[in-house]
Amino acid sequence: MKDVLIKFEDVHKSYFLANGEEVPVLRGIDLEIQKGEFVALMGESGGGKSTLLNIIGCLHALSSGKYFLEGRDIGVIREDYALAFVRNKKMGFIFQSFNLLSRMTALQNVALPAIYARIPHAEREARATKLLQSIGLGERVRHRPPELSGGQQQRVAIARALMNDPEIILADEPTGALDSKSGKEIMEIFCEFKERNKTVLMVTHTPEAAKYADRIVFLKDGKITSHDYKLEK
Amino acid sequence: MNFETLKMAFEALLANKVRSGLSMLGIVIGVSTVIIVVGIGLGSQQKVADQYKNLNVTSVIVMGMRGRDSASSTKISEKDVDYVLANAAYVNVGTAVLQGNLDLSYGKTSSSFSVFGSSAKFFDISNLSLAAGRVFTEDESGNTALLTVIGNGVLEKFWDEGTDPETVLGEILTVGNKKLEIIGVLKEIGSSTGPMSYDDSLLVPYSTAAKYLLGSTTKPNLYFLATDADTVDLATAEIELLLRANHKLKAAKENDFRIFDAGSMVGAATDTATTLTILLTSVAAIVLIVSGIGIMNVMFVTVTERTREIGIIKAVGGEQKDILAQFLAESVILSMIGGIIGIGIGEIAIPFLNNLEDWYVLHSPISIFVGFTFSVLVGIFFGFYPALKASRLDPVDALRSE
Repeated sequence: MKDVLIKFEDVHKSYFLANGEEVPVLRGIDLEIQKGEFVALMGESGGGKSTLLNIIGCLHALSSGKYFLEGRDIGVIREDYALAFVRNKKMGFIFQSFNLLSRMTALQNVALPAIYARIPHAEREARATKLLQSIGLGERVRHRPPELSGGQQQRVAIARALMNDPEIILADEPTGALDSKSGKEIMEIFCEFKERNKTVLMVTHTPEAAKYADRIVFLKDGKITSHDYKLEK
Repeated sequence: MNFETLKMAFEALLANKVRSGLSMLGIVIGVSTVIIVVGIGLGSQQKVADQYKNLNVTSVIVMGMRGRDSASSTKISEKDVDYVLANAAYVNVGTAVLQGNLDLSYGKTSSSFSVFGSSAKFFDISNLSLAAGRVFTEDESGNTALLTVIGNGVLEKFWDEGTDPETVLGEILTVGNKKLEIIGVLKEIGSSTGPMSYDDSLLVPYSTAAKYLLGSTTKPNLYFLATDADTVDLATAEIELLLRANHKLKAAKENDFRIFDAGSMVGAATDTATTLTILLTSVAAIVLIVSGIGIMNVMFVTVTERTREIGIIKAVGGEQKDILAQFLAESVILSMIGGIIGIGIGEIAIPFLNNLEDWYVLHSPISIFVGFTFSVLVGIFFGFYPALKASRLDPVDALRSE
């Protein structure tokens, strides 16, 4: 049974330079992603991978076209609180540079999304602790990011992304700053997430990471050149 | 704004203690300045009030000319009082007063005090009341009786502290070669800081002062009371006309006396004190505004530095209003703590300032309230724009920033 989670219809996105010049980044994207899929986005730099990810994550507004999430047209939403709500409840972001707040402990970093979901303090801490334990960082809850290794920091970032139990993990080169062992651990966490019928979208340059995906979507010059490429595991 | 926002704001401020402290410093100085200068202003107003508290508001005072045209041309005398009282409609009471400093002795002690020679009416005019004994009668004030009513300062000078005023009645004080019997003691006036203190004075009948004590060296001033507070202006005009008539001044000639009413004297002094208060308060307000600009500057730097944090908060679902609230909370916490410290420093400084000579600074609950409120408002006002700028950052750009 097909359960379409994300559907793009002829999505365009342009940036405008300071002198008013239009720079098209996405030029007519049609894409469908099923619930529970693990999709890798690949392609050369400047091809529009990150922009596509940011549009899916409601960090960017699209210029034209339609974006359906769970059948609802959310490409038309411009209200800050509504976009923040979608990001908070449906999305979990993971970045190449981790983007943890260094003045906060691992626990506080993980609990951050729940603050904006207005979840009470005790419940937040309990859930964040559980998440950190589940990814093997139960001993590190009081550590701050600078006291953790790159792999550990990225796992804290994943725990943060999972905090509000999102539908979709959006990962922008999650293994880019990690050694191969840590990278492998991250991919295994993504696979577990997929097992739970959740969706993972990952921008990556490395075939080692991409081979974990169900399929690879290639982008070039703002267009999709391949929808359904697969690498041998 | 909720508890989470406040907690995060606190943590963010604590993460950069030196900067938070420095940006708070302006507010600390601003608010402590407010506390101190408002205290100084109120102190000077209080000083004026103390100075004139023995001046009946309906009183009108006539003095001789000063300077070039002084004593020789001044013709005011106790006879003017009778003339005015006989002819004026709006004047109730009047007396001539001779005032001078004389050496006074009791036993082996001697000291200089102010001596006032007047009729008994002077007690009403100057709001004086007695702790013991009586005032001199009209008869006594006319027939050079050797009697005196002493101020509390005289009592304290010649007798032990805490001496019952009743016990000194009938004692004899020596002034020059005259011996004056004490018939009354004034209530202590206290806290008076001006020249009008009657604590260190003694009052004697006018004729006594004129004949034996001060008559050869001093000219009298005339004190009158208008019928009530509303007729002071009328009484003043009336007294002026009557004195001119009594002195036979032609229309073209200027007054050969000076005339004041208590209201305008107090008014002028109060105006000066008020002007001082306004001036000092404006200085403090400027200091506060400048410190607010300091906070704004720091908040801008903070927003720029924490752009990535703002991006992260947006990515995990923080709304614009969450970010606005957090940065606003930071600037308000900064300025509020600065305000509280400033109030503390100001209040601690006041007693020290009061120990300095000629300083008179008051504690004022209003300035504490105003200082605190103003510091919070400064935090809101100057924190708002940086916070707004933070909340409107594009999340993707913010995440990309280094």
